[in-house]
Amino acid sequence: MEKRQDPTAGIPDRASPWRLPLAPALLFAFSLLFFPFNQAFALQLITHPNSDIAEISRSSARAVFSMRRQVWPDGAAVRVFVFPDKHKLHKAFAKQLLGVFPHQLRRAWDRKVFSGTGQAPETVQSETEMIEMIKKTPGAIGYISEDNRDESVQILQVE
Amino acid sequence: MNRYRFCKWSRRLVLLGWLLPPLATASSLFGDENLQIHGFLSQGYTHTSANSWFGDSSNGSWDFRELGLNASYRITPKLQISGQLLSLTAGEMQDGSPSLDYGLLDYNFANYDNGNLGLRLGRVKTPIGLYNETRDVAFTRPTNFLPQSIYFDKVRNLELSNDGFEIYGDLLTDWGDLLFQGGMGKPVTDENVEYAYLGNDWQGELNSDLFFFGRVMYELDGGRIRLSATIADGDLDFEPGPTDPFSNGTVGIQLRVLSFQYNAEAWRFTTEYMQEDVINRDLGAFRPDGDSMAEGYYLQLAHDLFSDWEIIARYDVSYLNRDDRDGTKQEAGPFGIPAHNMFAKDWTLGLRWDITPAFMVRGEYHWVDGTAWLSSRENNFFQTERYWQMFSLLASYRF
Repeated sequence: MEKRQDPTAGIPDRASPWRLPLAPALLFAFSLLFFPFNQAFALQLITHPNSDIAEISRSSARAVFSMRRQVWPDGAAVRVFVFPDKHKLHKAFAKQLLGVFPHQLRRAWDRKVFSGTGQAPETVQSETEMIEMIKKTPGAIGYISEDNRDESVQILQVE
Repeated sequence: MNRYRFCKWSRRLVLLGWLLPPLATASSLFGDENLQIHGFLSQGYTHTSANSWFGDSSNGSWDFRELGLNASYRITPKLQISGQLLSLTAGEMQDGSPSLDYGLLDYNFANYDNGNLGLRLGRVKTPIGLYNETRDVAFTRPTNFLPQSIYFDKVRNLELSNDGFEIYGDLLTDWGDLLFQGGMGKPVTDENVEYAYLGNDWQGELNSDLFFFGRVMYELDGGRIRLSATIADGDLDFEPGPTDPFSNGTVGIQLRVLSFQYNAEAWRFTTEYMQEDVINRDLGAFRPDGDSMAEGYYLQLAHDLFSDWEIIARYDVSYLNRDDRDGTKQEAGPFGIPAHNMFAKDWTLGLRWDITPAFMVRGEYHWVDGTAWLSSRENNFFQTERYWQMFSLLASYRF
């Protein structure tokens, strides 16, 4: 008698080992969609053209952008300008120049704003708007990418 | 009734939702860069398997609402005035009547490259642990209900804010930043404080004396690691009414909190530990002189999923009396209060979705063993159930 051919022969069954790596592979591919590799941007701090400060320490810069430093040494009010939390330049700025995560800055601002101990920074949407605001606001500080070098604002070096 | 009230409120909220964003931009319309206006509104739904929390929750309660509106103005670069109006509805504990949450003058008199020093005068938020100063802003809380071991909602006003002053400063060094706040003031107490420390709203009054408070915080790498120690110390004075069972005496309170937080890019670990001395003096036979210590702690892990979701897990433990953690002494005592009212162990799992930067929803589930942080305004302690669960859903908008 001829043995009947197994109709499922050649079709890997559900428990077959080759299927296993598929799940992690899919997960990895999926995660690429949501976690694009961090891009590095060359960034620079900029201030109002009349500022007489040429460099600032990283901890002072953090204090300024956490809204803890309210007055410049010359007595002018500090005016902080930032891009929205999810803006690629803001993320890069927080991590590269300040060494903090954007969510830490957001928390620090919320603590200030909702306990009466400080104010939130001004948000701008584009680099053109950033340069525009920094130029016309005495005491202003912000950041732009290095490609956007602009002679009309002062560049501030982070030590 | 409940459903009717919810409809009424949801309509008001929708209306506010339309009105507020233009208000937020109004400050720039005034053309004054020194003025800022911000606010928030939250609506919560609470459902418990037993017991009452923020309303008649075992039937599902909508009685959890937070509305806040604040303004700040920089009079000079060093001088700022600010105030916030708050309306909180929390079941039987808070009825939604508006109050001044804070109102203060902030004078930042010394500014250096590596630090600064200032003075705040007026109604100042009490700095306790990591979350207290903005405890009513859903966006700044890790969960819909803060860990009750430390941020008690049943006596929130004792911790909330105080009328007085505080000195603050920060020192930036190469090995991290040191931030401190310290001051004195009268906590803005209410009848909830009386319920919590004397068990009822008596004819007489429980008023607070001057409290001293201080917090030191150490932050490494701009807050990647945060460590803090808090102390708050003061007395509550009881002036009895003619039929009250207590005599003219005091309840002394000292609160101590240690906090630790580690912030990574996509996850955060937080833990806090609290001790609270409660010292009864001269209150008479029904509340004999004695010292007891309440204790609590929690461990919490939060993780960002994708970019707008956060999942959070927490274990939170409260003991009303450190020498009677399981409550057996209390149950054997003259009032026979069931033991499980002396502790609470709460496992929480929550999921938050930031739909936009200004609008978020959060759902969380609590598995609780014990009823220590329930309010006697909402529960009869002889009828509470030891094991219970809670589901909470909250939507919040801010500007």
